[in-house]
Amino acid sequence: MHLKADKLILSHGEWTLSADGSFRKGVHLVTGPVGSGKTTLASALAGIFEPASGQITREGVSRLTLSMQFPEYHVTGFLVKDEIRSWHLPVTETLRKSGLEGRENAKTLTLSRGELKRLHLTCLLGNAWDAVILDEPFAGLDCREKRRVCTAIEERKHPLIIIFTHEQAVLPAADHIWEIEEGALVCRGKVPEAIPAWKGAPRYLTRALEEGAQPENIRLHDATEALCRMHD
Amino acid sequence: MIYAHNLHHRSLGIDSLHIGQGHTAIIGPNGSGKTTFLKLCAGIELPHHGTLTISGKEPRAVHTGWVGEVPDNNLVFRTVADEVASGLRFRRTPADAIEPAVSSVLSDMGILHLSSRTSHTLSGGEKALVACAAALALSPELLILDETDTHLDRKAAHILETIIRRRPAPCILQCTQDMDTAARADRVIFFDDGCPQYTGTPEEVFSHLNETEMYPSLWRIARCI
Repeated sequence: MHLKADKLILSHGEWTLSADGSFRKGVHLVTGPVGSGKTTLASALAGIFEPASGQITREGVSRLTLSMQFPEYHVTGFLVKDEIRSWHLPVTETLRKSGLEGRENAKTLTLSRGELKRLHLTCLLGNAWDAVILDEPFAGLDCREKRRVCTAIEERKHPLIIIFTHEQAVLPAADHIWEIEEGALVCRGKVPEAIPAWKGAPRYLTRALEEGAQPENIRLHDATEALCRMHD
Repeated sequence: MIYAHNLHHRSLGIDSLHIGQGHTAIIGPNGSGKTTFLKLCAGIELPHHGTLTISGKEPRAVHTGWVGEVPDNNLVFRTVADEVASGLRFRRTPADAIEPAVSSVLSDMGILHLSSRTSHTLSGGEKALVACAAALALSPELLILDETDTHLDRKAAHILETIIRRRPAPCILQCTQDMDTAARADRVIFFDDGCPQYTGTPEEVFSHLNETEMYPSLWRIARCI
């Protein structure tokens, strides 16, 4: 199974991004500066942005979805219960998982931004997909909800997950790290070997590396464990 | 500077709250009333009941720079330069003073290169930075940032934090979900269930959140070193 960017060139006017690489089974994290093209690449991989050249190829990926950065763009149901039903999910259970018990008759767009993101991600991750592309899934979520999304990702119900993010505190365990740098997608490699080369690593991880720790993965928990191991 | 008494609005309920000058981080779970409180401070909504004053004035009588949480909702004008200049134009600032002011604030934010871009072609993070620049161009008495950093990478968030440290406004209210950012503010207010539960220095407030995901990640790392 893979989702492959084959000599891909993406462009908006004078801005271009090149991507050449294969996303295989596992959790992939893609980071990059503001405006570097994370959303454009996510859209291209999902097939909703036409590349200037090159192509996207899929092998063993028939059910693919994209979670957009702004959850408002996904809303199709006037009421919260309509929105949940539009994803073919049970209302009561989905409300419970979203922490929105009793809100089934609320107008979907009157939810707070974080509540809407919670609802959207619960619905999206509650379905079965071969590949899930998440564009800034943690934006707008509180710390507890970010951790809940990480847990859902780590359950690995979906074989291939690609996360585009600049989250700096709450991250899931990942298998591969990618970065967008100077107009190109660069593969830093497999975790944990990729961690020292990861320029956009969260501050807690770089701080642990500065102390000589060797975290096994990218979570805060991995960084603190690695530091504790040094002192045992 | 900000004084709230017996303030009730939608799910928000505040018996008494005083916020002094400087940088205040507002933290708390989604739906805890943070944005509602910020909208009342900005005068975007008027309270159903109670008193809220800023430097003794009604919120709508105060020059406030507002950066909301949805980047698309912050931008009105076609180009970045027009967006940042808009507030100055509405204030009838002399035309020859506007362009240098716009360039200065865009340069401070590290986004001078975006000046001629049309707003709808910007990324979410770039829109957030432009909205900050537009707010700062007005030299506001009160600057309100509602989870603006949620759309920013580490470098852009650092630029924003550097600007905040220069105190571009006497009072800055920053709602954030980045607890390391909150830990560097002058004071922190933790909202839960529609009201402020803890108020104080970062050390005081985070001492109550020690066992939760809300404890700053760099403080947790520091404990292991």
